[in-house]
Amino acid sequence: MRVKRMLTLLLALAMALSLAACGGGSGEGTGSAGLDLEAASWEEVVEAARGTTVTFYGWGGDENRNNWLNSAVADYVSERYDITLEVVGMNIEDILAKLAGEKEAGTEAGSIDMIWINGENFYSAKENGLLYGPFTDKLPNVEAYIDTEDPETLNDFSMPIEGYEAPYAKAQLVLYNDSAVTPEAPASAQALLDYCRQYPGRVTYPAPPDFTGSAFVRNIIYEVCGWEQFQDMEADYDTVKAAIEPALEYLRELNPYLWNEGRTFPDTSTTVDSMFADGELVMSMSYAPFTVATGIDQGLLSDTTRTFVFDNGTIGNTNYMAIAFNSPNKAGAMVVIDAILSAEVQLSQYETLRELPVVDADKLSQEERAAFDAVDLGQGVLTQAELLSHRLPEMPADLVPVIEEIWLDEVVGQYND
Amino acid sequence: MRKPRTVFFLLLPLAAVTLLVLAACACVLAQSLGWVPAFGLEEITFSYYLDILRDEDFLRSLAVSLGVAAGSALLAAVLGTAVCAALTVRGRSGGAITYVLRLPILVPHAVVALFTILIFSQTGLLARLACALGLISDFTQFPQLLYTPGYEGAVAAYLWKEVPFVAYFTLALMSGVSGTLGEAAEDLGASPLRSFFSVTLPLSLPAVCRATLIIFIFAFGGYELPMLLGATLPKALPVEAYLAYMSPELRDRPYAMAMYGVILVLSVAMAGLYALLTRRLLRRMGGNHG
Repeated sequence: MRVKRMLTLLLALAMALSLAACGGGSGEGTGSAGLDLEAASWEEVVEAARGTTVTFYGWGGDENRNNWLNSAVADYVSERYDITLEVVGMNIEDILAKLAGEKEAGTEAGSIDMIWINGENFYSAKENGLLYGPFTDKLPNVEAYIDTEDPETLNDFSMPIEGYEAPYAKAQLVLYNDSAVTPEAPASAQALLDYCRQYPGRVTYPAPPDFTGSAFVRNIIYEVCGWEQFQDMEADYDTVKAAIEPALEYLRELNPYLWNEGRTFPDTSTTVDSMFADGELVMSMSYAPFTVATGIDQGLLSDTTRTFVFDNGTIGNTNYMAIAFNSPNKAGAMVVIDAILSAEVQLSQYETLRELPVVDADKLSQEERAAFDAVDLGQGVLTQAELLSHRLPEMPADLVPVIEEIWLDEVVGQYND
Repeated sequence: MRKPRTVFFLLLPLAAVTLLVLAACACVLAQSLGWVPAFGLEEITFSYYLDILRDEDFLRSLAVSLGVAAGSALLAAVLGTAVCAALTVRGRSGGAITYVLRLPILVPHAVVALFTILIFSQTGLLARLACALGLISDFTQFPQLLYTPGYEGAVAAYLWKEVPFVAYFTLALMSGVSGTLGEAAEDLGASPLRSFFSVTLPLSLPAVCRATLIIFIFAFGGYELPMLLGATLPKALPVEAYLAYMSPELRDRPYAMAMYGVILVLSVAMAGLYALLTRRLLRRMGGNHG
């Protein structure tokens, strides 16, 4: 009897708990520390941020970036604004899941302030009310250094930004291989097919939804089907599938010559990188255009490794910083984001991490521009000008998951007759 | 006899954990039925379950997970019982050997996956050895043992952990039975083989069955090994469910939860079977002694 009563009690409590967790109202947070951010002047925002801690959540797989954030950026904001920057490495999917969980639970003061984000994740987060904004019009450095008319400032993967995120760095898909191992640098889809035929089993790409693998597949689609038609395409499975059919055919054509005959693809770009470093693959790819220079510097890649892009161009995108809807310190987050947009921090990022800066060259002073030009990019990479002249826009964010789904259905382990 | 109040306090920590688990399960079920008010979904419906049950990818994932679970559980049961029998026959049921048995049980699954990759992949130890011995001229000739749609790599890794588990789990019972009833059978003229197969093994079977069920439930819901050693397609069910959960399209959340719901229901059914087996065993033991 006693046992039964206790069980009933347990069950009742569990139901109550889960209802509280599942139901919960969603409260829009306003400003931190009682400050009305909408009305506040920038000086008041900076004042409110002084002495606080800001958490910055984002992908933590790049050791160099983590070190840079923890030293250069952290020092900059602590000296100038007395802000403690706390960097937390977490995959964007996990960050969104965490935010979604907090939203479900109705948590008004969450644990995340700033988020490193872009593309379909930004689109979904904004659609579902997981982000705070608009806030970029408040930041003085947006006015001072950013080209506000640039399509990549206005749209992220063709989706309107509307002040919900500020640019962080520019990325571009590049391919790389070792000229001492394979003299060819395939600069088109056709050349890539010949290359795979010549080195059977030694080429592959990360399986989407891996970020790099997904971009590679979209780049192949651009190669085979052109890029313009996708900019305003409806995100409908059948429409997209019909449009990319020639590219799917091409990818199936590649399959027999790929690693493991295209039946299995490595799950992440990190795996592909280490397989390349191991000699198991003859080609790799990266969304960080200067990654080869860093690799050579660190002795991970031989100094005959070189970067190349398709003649028709490769996909470039900007990655951004956003603020969580329930950030407990929105003022602090805005101050840190503004600091990262400064010419000084952008230059430091370009020098240390070799990431394409987001500042507008026309808005820089003579001295600042000279400092950017003087940066030594290292070996085996393409120049900023070569990259930017081979830069294609990203696809609309809502097409990305559709293409990833089609890839799974139509490419993995399948061959043309 | 302890006072009820003491019992109550002693049970509190367990109750707290149970509460959390039950609350999480209730959450999963609620969301799988389309109740996610945070994303504007408030209509209770079975359509998500019906949709995934009609989805070929989901059915293939379900088949993969059932296959991996059944394969590793059955093989582990047979091999583990063999190991246990060998130890019992040799009279080595205690001491140092049990520590050796316990070692693989303690090693985390992710580490086992790493071992497996280091040894069996195309650039692993075996491939390098074969290359060095001149058996193959290039590592691409080494057979691809991992990442196959048949999930042989994941099953092999599970076996490495679970064969010792079955042996360890069964050892106490089997050596007990063998030392008493088994010996009695031999005293009455049965050959050691006959005594093992007619007396010791049948009496130890409940323990073997329970160990097998535990492994089955674990491997069915296990994420790490199929994720690290499995194929791009078909994906194991927990991997597929996690990917759906991580999808940037937050309004697809109920599909992920429906997959978790299926895992949950099947696991609970297995746990029920386990409870049934245990009760039968207890009754039979009671019968033997009474």
